[in-house]
Amino acid sequence: MEREPEAAEEPGVPGRARRGRRRRRRREGRTRTVRSNLLPPPGPEEPVAGAAKSARHLADNRLKTTKYTLLSFLPKNLFEQFHRLANVYFVFIALLNFVPAVNAFQPGLALAPVLFILAVTAFKDLWEDYSRHRSDHDINHLGCLVFSREEKNYVNRYWKEIHVGDFVRLRCNEIIPADILLLSSSDPDGLCHIETANLDGETNLKRRQVVRGFSELVSEFNPLTFTSVIECEKPNNDLTRFRGCIIHENGKKAGLYKENLLLRGCTIRNTEAVVGIVIYAGHETKALLNNNGPRYKRSQLERQMNCDVLWCVLILICMSLFSAVGHGLWVQQYQEKKPLFDVPESGGGSLSPVTAAIYSFLTMIIVLQVLIPISLYVSIEIVKVCQVYFINQDMELYDEETDSQLQCRALNITEDLGQIQYIFSDKTGTLTENKMVFRRCTVSGIEYSHDANARRLAMYQEVDSEEEEVAPKGSSLSQRGSISSHQGVRVMYRSQSVKSHRRTGSRAEAKRASILSRHTAFSSPMEKDITPDPKLLEKVSECDRCLATARHQEHPLAHLSPELSDVFDFFIALTICNTVVVTSPDQPRQKVRVRLEVKSPVKTIEDFLRRFTPSRLTSGCSNIGSLATSKSTHKPGSSFLSSLSSDGTLLGLEERLSHASPAITNNGYGGGRADSWVPDGAPQERELRYEAESPDEAALVYAARAYNCALVDRLHDQVSVELPHLGRLTFELLHTLGFDSIRKRMSVVIRHPLTDEINVYTKGADSVLMDLLLPCSTDDARGRHQKKIQSKTQHYLNLYAVEGLRTLCIAKRVLSKEEYACWLQSHLEAESSLDNREELLFQSAIRLETNLHLLGATGIEDRLQDGVPETIAKLRQAGLQIWVLTGDKQETAVNIAYACKLLDHDEEVITLNAESQEACAALLDQCLHYVQARYTHSTPEKTPGTVSVGFTPLCPPYTPTASGPSLSLVIDGKSLAYALEKNLEDKFLFLAKQCRSVLCCRSTPLQKSMVVKLVRSKLKAMTLAIGDGANDVSMIQVADVGVGISGQEGMQAVMASDFAVPKFRYLERLLIVHGHWCYSRLANMVLYFFYKNTMFVGLLFWFQFYCGFSASAMIDQWYLIFFNLLFSSLPQLVTGVLDKDVPADVLLTEPQLYKSGQNMEEYRPRAFWINMADATFQSLVCFFLPYLAYYDSDTDLFTWGTPITAIALFTFLLHLGIETKTWTWLNWIACGFSILLFFIVALIYNASCATCYPPSNPYWTMQALMGDPVFYLTCLIAPVAALLPRLFFKALQGSLFPTQLQLGRQLAKRSPKKLNTPKEIFTQGHPLGDSQHLELGNMGTCGSLPQGCASQVPQPTQQPACSPEAGKEQSAVDTRMSLRDVSLLEELSDQAPEASTPQKSIQERHPGDSTMKPTSTSRAAPLSSIFNLPNFSSFNWISSLSLVSGLGSVLQFSRTSLQSDKQEGDFLSGAPQPERNLCGLREQTVDYF
Amino acid sequence: MEMKLKDNLSRLPDNTAMKQQQLPACHFHFSATRILTAFFAIGALCLVMGIILILSSKSAKTIEINYTKICANCAKLQENAFNFDKECTCSIPFYLPEKMQGNVYMYYKLYGFYQNLHRYIRSRSDSQLLGIDIKNVEDCAPFEKSHNGTPIVPCGAIANSMFNDTIILSYNLNSAIHIKVPMLRSEITWWTDKYVKFQNPSSRNLSNAFAGSTKPLYWSKPAYELDEEDPGNNGFINDDFIVWMRTAAFPTFKKFYRRLNRIQHFTEGLPAGNYSFNITYITSFQGEKAVVLSTLTWDGGSGLFLGFAYTVTGAMTWLVLFSMIAAHLMLKKRKTFFLQQ
Repeated sequence: MEREPEAAEEPGVPGRARRGRRRRRRREGRTRTVRSNLLPPPGPEEPVAGAAKSARHLADNRLKTTKYTLLSFLPKNLFEQFHRLANVYFVFIALLNFVPAVNAFQPGLALAPVLFILAVTAFKDLWEDYSRHRSDHDINHLGCLVFSREEKNYVNRYWKEIHVGDFVRLRCNEIIPADILLLSSSDPDGLCHIETANLDGETNLKRRQVVRGFSELVSEFNPLTFTSVIECEKPNNDLTRFRGCIIHENGKKAGLYKENLLLRGCTIRNTEAVVGIVIYAGHETKALLNNNGPRYKRSQLERQMNCDVLWCVLILICMSLFSAVGHGLWVQQYQEKKPLFDVPESGGGSLSPVTAAIYSFLTMIIVLQVLIPISLYVSIEIVKVCQVYFINQDMELYDEETDSQLQCRALNITEDLGQIQYIFSDKTGTLTENKMVFRRCTVSGIEYSHDANARRLAMYQEVDSEEEEVAPKGSSLSQRGSISSHQGVRVMYRSQSVKSHRRTGSRAEAKRASILSRHTAFSSPMEKDITPDPKLLEKVSECDRCLATARHQEHPLAHLSPELSDVFDFFIALTICNTVVVTSPDQPRQKVRVRLEVKSPVKTIEDFLRRFTPSRLTSGCSNIGSLATSKSTHKPGSSFLSSLSSDGTLLGLEERLSHASPAITNNGYGGGRADSWVPDGAPQERELRYEAESPDEAALVYAARAYNCALVDRLHDQVSVELPHLGRLTFELLHTLGFDSIRKRMSVVIRHPLTDEINVYTKGADSVLMDLLLPCSTDDARGRHQKKIQSKTQHYLNLYAVEGLRTLCIAKRVLSKEEYACWLQSHLEAESSLDNREELLFQSAIRLETNLHLLGATGIEDRLQDGVPETIAKLRQAGLQIWVLTGDKQETAVNIAYACKLLDHDEEVITLNAESQEACAALLDQCLHYVQARYTHSTPEKTPGTVSVGFTPLCPPYTPTASGPSLSLVIDGKSLAYALEKNLEDKFLFLAKQCRSVLCCRSTPLQKSMVVKLVRSKLKAMTLAIGDGANDVSMIQVADVGVGISGQEGMQAVMASDFAVPKFRYLERLLIVHGHWCYSRLANMVLYFFYKNTMFVGLLFWFQFYCGFSASAMIDQWYLIFFNLLFSSLPQLVTGVLDKDVPADVLLTEPQLYKSGQNMEEYRPRAFWINMADATFQSLVCFFLPYLAYYDSDTDLFTWGTPITAIALFTFLLHLGIETKTWTWLNWIACGFSILLFFIVALIYNASCATCYPPSNPYWTMQALMGDPVFYLTCLIAPVAALLPRLFFKALQGSLFPTQLQLGRQLAKRSPKKLNTPKEIFTQGHPLGDSQHLELGNMGTCGSLPQGCASQVPQPTQQPACSPEAGKEQSAVDTRMSLRDVSLLEELSDQAPEASTPQKSIQERHPGDSTMKPTSTSRAAPLSSIFNLPNFSSFNWISSLSLVSGLGSVLQFSRTSLQSDKQEGDFLSGAPQPERNLCGLREQTVDYF
Repeated sequence: MEMKLKDNLSRLPDNTAMKQQQLPACHFHFSATRILTAFFAIGALCLVMGIILILSSKSAKTIEINYTKICANCAKLQENAFNFDKECTCSIPFYLPEKMQGNVYMYYKLYGFYQNLHRYIRSRSDSQLLGIDIKNVEDCAPFEKSHNGTPIVPCGAIANSMFNDTIILSYNLNSAIHIKVPMLRSEITWWTDKYVKFQNPSSRNLSNAFAGSTKPLYWSKPAYELDEEDPGNNGFINDDFIVWMRTAAFPTFKKFYRRLNRIQHFTEGLPAGNYSFNITYITSFQGEKAVVLSTLTWDGGSGLFLGFAYTVTGAMTWLVLFSMIAAHLMLKKRKTFFLQQ
C-alpha cells in the first residue's frame, strides 16, 4: 500500500529506492500518484512493463469479498470458531476424554458432537463464502471498454482486469467499474450525469465535470497523449470529498474535486460517452470502502442466556464437586477392606481417596457436560435465521408502492424486537412521507391561504387510504381544477410505464423499474398539481401582462407596484433558486440542448470581463452567431452599462463596456421564442419532469408552475422560465451557492433578462434568513412598510409552523455591478484555492447573502405517512415510550406530534426552553417538584382499586400515572444540550420518564445519539431508533435495535440499521407481531434447552448415589452424546421457529400483550429457576420410577439405562407439547420423527456390533427391552408422573391467574375467525357493549397501564362509559369547587357505571382546571407566581403559561385543553383530570370479578 | 403468465401458508373442560393399570434367604490367608409355606456390591471374551497379567470378582430324605450373550486354547474348568460367567443362578415343605449375600412397585382433578375480567 507512490513516481536505483522509500513513505503517506498505464516507463532502469507493474502494486479492480480460499478455509475457519468460548470448552471436554484415568467415553466418540457442531458452522460459513464468491465472480466478469496500447483503441475487458491508470470509456447507462477521474465527455460542456442510487439511494442526477484543462480540448480525447500525473488522496471512504491535483507536463497544476470523480457503482446517465482514468480500483474505491458488512450485535436475551449458562457451569461444578467428595468418602470407607469390586491401581495398591476424588471430579465434568448445551448456540442460530426468513417473507410487511419488503440486516437480534421499551424516532421522512407538497404562501406580507389546495390535499388523504389503484385516483383527479384532465391521463401513463417495466423480464429490469417508480413517486400528482390561489394567480398574471407590455421599456419592473414586483420576484425565485433539472419522460433523461455562447458560470475575472463586455462578440465565438442575430434589445445592455460605468475600480472596463452589446442577451433568444408561444393555460407540448435534490425544491417548482411560471429548461449556465404572456425568459445563471446545513440556505446569482440587473435569490430557513434581511430604518415610510411586511411574514411563519408546515423564506438582493465584481474577485480566489477551499467558499457565500430583501415565505406540507397516528397509538398501547427527536423547529415538531397523536390535546405539555445551564437546572427542578406534587396526591386515589399499584418514583415509566392526564415533555436543542450534561442528566431522565411522550426539537445528530445512549445506559432499557436520513445514523447505531426507513432520503440510515422497513407503519407489525413472536419463541426455546439439559443431567447425577459417586453413567455413551444433537433437537427447533403463542390478529388488536416481552415475562431469572426446579423434579421422577421398578431385578446397568433414555425422550416431547401453543403438522412430524429416530437408531445400534462399543456393549438391549412389559409400563407412567405437576400448575394458573398472553390465546380461540364480535367474557355487566375491543384494552390497562387507555382518545365515542359522564359531571361542579379530593373522584367513578349513553362531545369534559389541590399549590406556588402569557396564546389548542425565571429562561407549561382559551392566564393546574378517570372502570371490574 | 412474471419480478413474498406462518394448527388451550377431561382420563387409566398390576404381582412368589450371617464362620475362615483355597460349606434350612407354581428361578443376591463402578465396568476385554484373541487384555488393567507376565483369561476386574459360591437346593421330603432339587444352569443368559458376545477360542480342546494364560487371581479354577458336568458350558460361554459379566445396575442386585428343572416332584414347581440350601462359600466381601427363589409374572416380576406407582399417580391425578373442579366451580360464580393483573 505504502509503496505505491514510490514505484510510480521514481523507480530509482534499487539501493537508493529502499532508502528513499522510507522517506517517501512519510512524505507520500497521504497522497497517491497515478499516471497513465499507456506511457512508457518513466525511468530507464525500470523494465518496459514498469508502468503496468507499478499499477500492480495498487489494488486492481478485482472484487474479493470472500474470507477464505480453498487452502485457508479450514485453519482460518477453525480459528474463528474457536473465538467462541463454548467451542473451546467443548473441545477441552472432548480432549479430556483422551486421558485414560478420567475418560468417560470413547475419545473418538466424545469428539463427535463438537466436530459436528464445528462442521455445521463451517458448512454455513462455507456456503456464505461461496455465494459471496459467486456474486464477486459475476461482478468481476462484467465488461467494459479499456484503452489498449497494443490495439490503440478501446477493447472489451473484464472489470477485474482494470488497473489504476487505465483509461476507461463508458457509455450511457453503464455502471462505473471503478473510481474514475473524468477526462472527457461527449457532452460539449464537459459534463456528465451520474445516478448514485446504488450508492446512496438518491435517484436524482448528480453532475460531474471533466477535469479543468481537458474540457477545452477541441478534438477527441486521446489517451495516448495523456502525460499528466495525478496526485490525489489515499483511498478513503468519504463519498463527499475528493481532493487532488493534476500536474501537466508543462508543470501546470489543476485542482481536482469530487465533481471530477465518477464513483464505482454509479450509473452514467444523460451522457453518450465518457472517458476517464482509473484512480482507485477494487477495494480501494469509495463505494467498497463504505461497504461494511452486517453488524454483529448480541441480543439482550442472549446476554441473559449467557448469564444462565454461567449458572449452569456453576451447577455443573457443584455437582461434580459433590460427586467428587462423595466418591472420596466412599473410597475411604472401603479402603481398608479391599472389596472385591475395587479396581486397584496397576501397581496393586488401591487408589487414595483424594486421587479418586479428583479423577471422579474430572470424569463427572465429562459425563455431565450435557448440562452446558452444546447445541444451544447452533440451535439458536438456526432458529434466528428461520425467524429472519419468515419476517422477510411476511406479506404484510411488503410495501407495494416501493416494491420492497422488510429487510433484516442483523441476523441475531430478532428477539430484541419483542422487548423494546423506548422508541426514538426521527420526524421527517420517518413519521412523515417526506413528500413535500406546497400548501400555502405569503408574499409581501399578504397571506394566500390556498383553501382549494387544502381541500385537494384533504382529498388525497382519502384516496391514499384506499387501494393504490389507478382508476379511482384518476377520477378523483379529474374532478379538480382546469389542469386536471390531462394529469389524470398522465397518471395512467405513469402507471402504465411502470407496468411495462415489470413485464420486460430480468430481475435487474425489475429493480430499475422499482427505482423508477420510486423516483416518479417523488413527484406524484399530489405534489405536482397545486391548485393556485385565485387572488395570487390574478396578481401573477397581472405582473405577467404588465411586464409583457413593458418589456421593451427602460425599467420594466418599475412599472409594477412594489407588491406586484415582489410577487413576480417571488415566483422567479421559486422557479430558479434551486438545482432542479428538467427532463421529459418520453425521452428518458435526455435534454434537448440548445448551445449558448456562454461556457459556464463565471470562472475567472477574465471570464467576467469577457462576458460582461461586448468585446466578446467581436472576438467571435464560433457558435454564437446564429443566436446573436436573433431578436434582441439593446436596453438591458445599456442599463448594465450605465450601472457599470460608475465603477471606477475596474479600470479600462468602462471603455469596452461603453459599447452596448446586443449579444449578451439571452433574453433575446427568449424573446424570439416568445412569439411562437401560445399564451394560455393550454397544456404544454411535452410534459416536464423535475428532478430535484430535495423534495421541497421540486414542490416549490411545481407550485410556481401552477402559477404559470414554469421552469422549462435548466442548463448549467442558464435557466429558462416560461410565462404565459412574457414568454420564455432566460436567466443567465452566474453562480449557484448550494444548500448546506450550516448556512441553511441556498442562493443563485443570476442576471435578470428584463432589467439586466444582477440578482441574488436566496431561499432558506426562516430562522437564519430573517436575520440576514436588510435592516430597515423606521424613519421613512418605505422602511416602515418593509418592517411591517417582515413582522407580518414572521407572524405567518409562526402560523405555518403551528400548522405543521415546513417554512422557507424567499429573499432577494440586487447587486450592483461593482459589488458583484468585488464579491466575484474574492469568490474566484476562494474557488481556485487548493486548500481550505470549502471554508473560503463558505465565507464567500456569507458575504453574498446579506442585506436581503424579503419577498415572502412558503409553507410546505410534509404529510404524515399512512397510518402513523394509528401505529403510534398501537405502539403506545403496547407500552412503548415514543420519543421524537427531530431537527425541526419546535412549533413544527409539536404540531406534527399533535397530528400523529403523539401529543394529545388533553394532556399536559411541559416545555423546556432554557438559555443557560443554570436556568435549565432550575427548570428541571421545578418540573420535578411539579411532577412529584402530582403524584403525591394522586397516589391515594389508586388505593381503592383492587390492585394497588404503589407508586414508587423509580418504577418504570409506564406504570406510575394511574390517574390524571399524562404529561408530555417538549425540549429544544439548546436545553437538551444542557440537560444532557452530567449533573443534569439524571433529573432530565427522571422527568422524561414520567412523561408519556418526549419531543426533542432542533436536536443535532449527536444529541440524538446521546439521548439514546443516556436512556440505554441509565434506564437499562431496550431502545429502538428509527430514522431515514443520514442525520439519524448515529442514533440508529447507538440504539439496541436500529431501524432504517428505506424511503427517499438515501440509503445511509438503511446501511447503518439492523432492520429496514419501507414505512413507519410497518414498525407496528414488526414489533408487536414479529418481535413478540421472536422473543416468545426464543425465550421458550432457551428455557426449554436449560430444562432439557438439567433434567437429563439430573438423571445421571441421581445415579451417582448408587454407584459410589464413581461418575459412571447408566445411559449408553452414544445416547448420552447424541441425545441432544439428534433425538431431541428437531421438535424444539420446529417449535422455536413456528410456534405462535398468540395469533397475529390478536396481538394487533391487543397490543398490550407486547408488554410480556418488555417485562421479560417469559424468560426472567425466576422462570429460569422455576424451570430448573421443575427439571430437578422431573429428573427425580424419571430416575426413581425406573429405579424402583427395576429394583431387585436382575437388570444390568445399560439395560436399565436405555428405558431411562426413552423415558427422558418421552418426557421432553410431552413437556414440549405442553409448552407448544400451536401444533402444525410440522410439529407432529418432528415429534414422530424424534421418537422413530430414537428407536430406529437404538435398534440398529444395538444390532450392529456385539462388542464394538465398550463398556456398554448394548448388543440386543433394545430388542430385549422391546419384549419386556416393564419397559413399556415405566415408559408410560414416568412421563405422566413427571409432568403432572407442571400440567397441574399450568392449568391452575391458566384458570385462576391467567397471564395476558393466555387470555389473548383464549380470545383467539373463542372467535378464531372474526375477532370483532363481542366477547361475552369482556362485556358482561358492562353498560356499553359497542366496542368490546377497546374496552378490553382499557380493562387490561386500567389497573396498571393508563396510557393504554389514554391512547384511545382518538375515538371519543369508544371511550369507556364513565369518562364522558364523569367529565360532564365534573364540569358542572367545576366552578364552585376549589378543592378536588378523593371523595369526589370516587363519587364520580361510582357514577360511571350508571352512564347509559356515551357523550359525544369530548370538549365538554374538559373543565377549566383553574383549581389546585393544597398539596400541589404549596409546591407549585413559586412556579405559578411567575407564569405569564405565552406567545401562542391566540391558538386554541394551547393554553400555555410561560415562566420567565430570574435566570432569563422561559418555561412553558402548556395545558392543552380544547377550551382552554377561556382560561388563559389561569394558573396551570396540577390536579388530576377525572375525565379519563379509570378508577371507575376499575371499580366496575371489581364488581364483576 | 403475467401473474407468474409478476411474481418473479416483484419482491412480493409468496403467499403460502408456510411462508406466511399460517400453517393450519391445532391450539392446545388449557381450558377447563379439556384439562379436566384429560386429568380424568389419565387418572382413570392409571388407576386401572395400577390395580391390574398390583393384582398380577400378587401371584408372584418370592422367598429370599440371607446367608451372610449363617455362613459367617465360612467368611471368617476365608479371611485367614492360609485357608484361602479351602472350601467351606454351610447349610441353611428353610420352610416353604406355599408351593411355588410354574417356573421357579433361583437367584443369588448381593447387597452392597458395586458392580456399576466407573472403573469396574470398563475393566474387561470384549475381544478376549469373543475368543478372537485371548491375549488381548489391554482394557483390563490392573487385572491383565499375572506376576509372571502371562495374560489373565478372562481378564479384568469384573471377571476377577466373579461370584463363585455354589448353591445347592435340597428338598427335605422328611428328615431323612433329602432330594436335591434338579436345577438347570442353561438359558439363564441372553441368547445373544451366549451365542454372539461370548465365544470360546476356536480350538478342539479348550485347555489348549487357553494355554499360555493364567486364571484370574481370585478364581480357584481356570475358565475352562468352570463346569465339570457340561463341557459345553466352559470357558467364556459358561452361563454363570456370562451372567456375572452383565454388570448389574445397582449395588444391590440379584442375578440368575439356576432355574428349576421341572421333573419328578417338581413338575408343577416347588411344592411346599422343608428345603435347605447347601452353600459352598468361596469368597466373602463387605456386603451381604442372599439366595432368592422366585416365580415370574407376565410383567417380568417387577414386584409391587409399578402397580403402586400407577395407583398413586392415578390417585394424585384425581385429587388434582377434584381440586380443580372445586376451584372452577368457585370461580364460575364470579366470572370475570381476567385481563386485570
